[in-house]
Amino acid sequence: MATSVTGRAEIGSAILTARGLTKSFPSGDRRIEVLRGVDLDVHAGESVSIRGESGSGKSTMLNLLAGLDAPDTGTLQWAGSAPNGDRRASFLGIVFQAFYLIPELDAFQNVLMAARMLGKLGPAERTKATDLLARVGLAERAHHLPSQLSGGERQRVAVARALMNSPQLLLADEPTGNLDEHTGDAVIELLLQLCAETKTALVLVTHNIEHAAKTQRALFLKEGVFR
Amino acid sequence: MPWYLYLALKQLFPTGKRFPFFTAISIVGVSLGVAVLVIATSVMGGFGAKIREMTVDTQGDVQVRASGLIANAAATQAQLAKIPGVIATTPFAEGPVALIYEPAGNAGGRKPQFPAMQGIDVDRIGSVVPIERYIHDGALADLDDDSVILGVQLALSLGARVGEKVEVYSPRGFETAKRDEVLLPRELRIVGYFEFGHQALDNSVALVTLRTMQDLYGLGSAVHGINVKVKAGLDPDVATTRINAALPPTANLHARSWIDLNQDFLFVLQFEKNMMFFLLMFIVVVAAFSVTSSLLIAVVRKTREIGLLGALGGKPRHVAACFCFQGFIIGVGGTIVGLALGFSVLYVRDDIVRLFTQLTQSEAALVRFYQFSHLPAESDPSYIFAIIVSTVVITTLAGLLPAWRAARLKPVEALRSE
Repeated sequence: MATSVTGRAEIGSAILTARGLTKSFPSGDRRIEVLRGVDLDVHAGESVSIRGESGSGKSTMLNLLAGLDAPDTGTLQWAGSAPNGDRRASFLGIVFQAFYLIPELDAFQNVLMAARMLGKLGPAERTKATDLLARVGLAERAHHLPSQLSGGERQRVAVARALMNSPQLLLADEPTGNLDEHTGDAVIELLLQLCAETKTALVLVTHNIEHAAKTQRALFLKEGVFR
Repeated sequence: MPWYLYLALKQLFPTGKRFPFFTAISIVGVSLGVAVLVIATSVMGGFGAKIREMTVDTQGDVQVRASGLIANAAATQAQLAKIPGVIATTPFAEGPVALIYEPAGNAGGRKPQFPAMQGIDVDRIGSVVPIERYIHDGALADLDDDSVILGVQLALSLGARVGEKVEVYSPRGFETAKRDEVLLPRELRIVGYFEFGHQALDNSVALVTLRTMQDLYGLGSAVHGINVKVKAGLDPDVATTRINAALPPTANLHARSWIDLNQDFLFVLQFEKNMMFFLLMFIVVVAAFSVTSSLLIAVVRKTREIGLLGALGGKPRHVAACFCFQGFIIGVGGTIVGLALGFSVLYVRDDIVRLFTQLTQSEAALVRFYQFSHLPAESDPSYIFAIIVSTVVITTLAGLLPAWRAARLKPVEALRSE
């Protein structure tokens, strides 16, 4: 795979390759097949949306792509190599529907936590966290606890945290699900804008057809496969 | 600082919270256990040290006795003086007597007392035991062959005061009575009191000169034993071995250290202290269980956060370390606070005891039962070290179960949890 001098995949080269992913879950005495052989390629800098009805397997798909769960069958590659927990923090960032900020840490420390988990915590990282918070419009609220922030502000902190380690891929699992329409639109705009600026590939799982339309490629998951 | 240690600190001391309730309660629980342990072991140690000090102050480091009497005390003392480590010696004679005090105008007299009378060499005893420091209303130098120094409680029991006279009846009177002879009591003038602060001694010992005691018991120039002081820092048992090796076997003399002489009592003291330590450690164990319980609740409450940590690349062992470290911090914090609390209470212990005894009107009972007029305390560094290590280990172990639970959580399942 083509990479730049920074170690990042060059624009256009595949950074995520999924082939024949299947996943089923037990339900009583039978198994429910959620994914039935999904193929997906995501290229560096590309934005892809995945839509689907509730229970269609969107979040399951995202968990597999993030390496948080293992597929029953099929293969997955992150920039040409198998997913690996050690690489996760540097390779990808994740934004969740429920934000999942650490309540004991203020916004700045929540953003910095991503770098801290990589063992990188120097002046450069502090500056970057400050810049990211400024970029998401929260410079003034850097030292506010999550409980002191609105839903939209919390999600913006989560976006900044996801981008802290300059990942090649950002996975967003219904990031506007807990936000009102106006705030949700603003968060999606911000997400797309930041990913474009940082040349980070984005996989956006959403219910919202308008948000999906703003990505370069829109996929629809139905009955366990992309239609 | 690794992220898991940082997060552990932040979870215990969250940003913007001046009084983290869970942390404060956990630390207070542990610190109470530590404080009680420090106080109990120190007071027990104080009792032990006080008793040891009094024993050495009255017996000397080593005591040399014969199977019967030591006929030539001066020669034995000269032999002992040549032994390396021996600093000074003093002979003694001892035995029970009857003491009667008849106040003027009270022909019926009062109840007799039967103290153990100690005959001491006034010129030499000071070089072996610091008896002078316990004497008041008089001085050791005032003691002559016609006088006596009484234990303060004994004087109170008799109702006799300094300057007054008491009659002393020797057990020799029983022997002379067989021969139809009457041994007249000896009149001794009270020239002072001694107060060791130990009820048993202050109530049952009287001091006279060695010559007086030899006369009372008809010993001639013989003595019952010789007390020996050894060089500071020299183990009394080592000194005893040296003395026994140096004494001629034909002399039929045998030296015993004060530790050997009181070994049963010292064993009981040590055993009590160890049992106290063991039993009170359960306070820390109970506090540790409450820490476990609180951390387990935290693991359940923070399930999705734990999932997030996994999703951000945190390894299970680091997630476990985060919770284990919280137990460790609570242990360290509780130990520091507990030590401070324990030593503070020890510092004002006499005030606390005084207040308590005043409230319960039990001051006299305290002296009667516990033998001491103030609460002694001596903190043994080895016990303090054991308290610190045990507490930190127990509370760190308290974090293990929650840590194990947290480490077992799969990020994807944790994030999905409601």
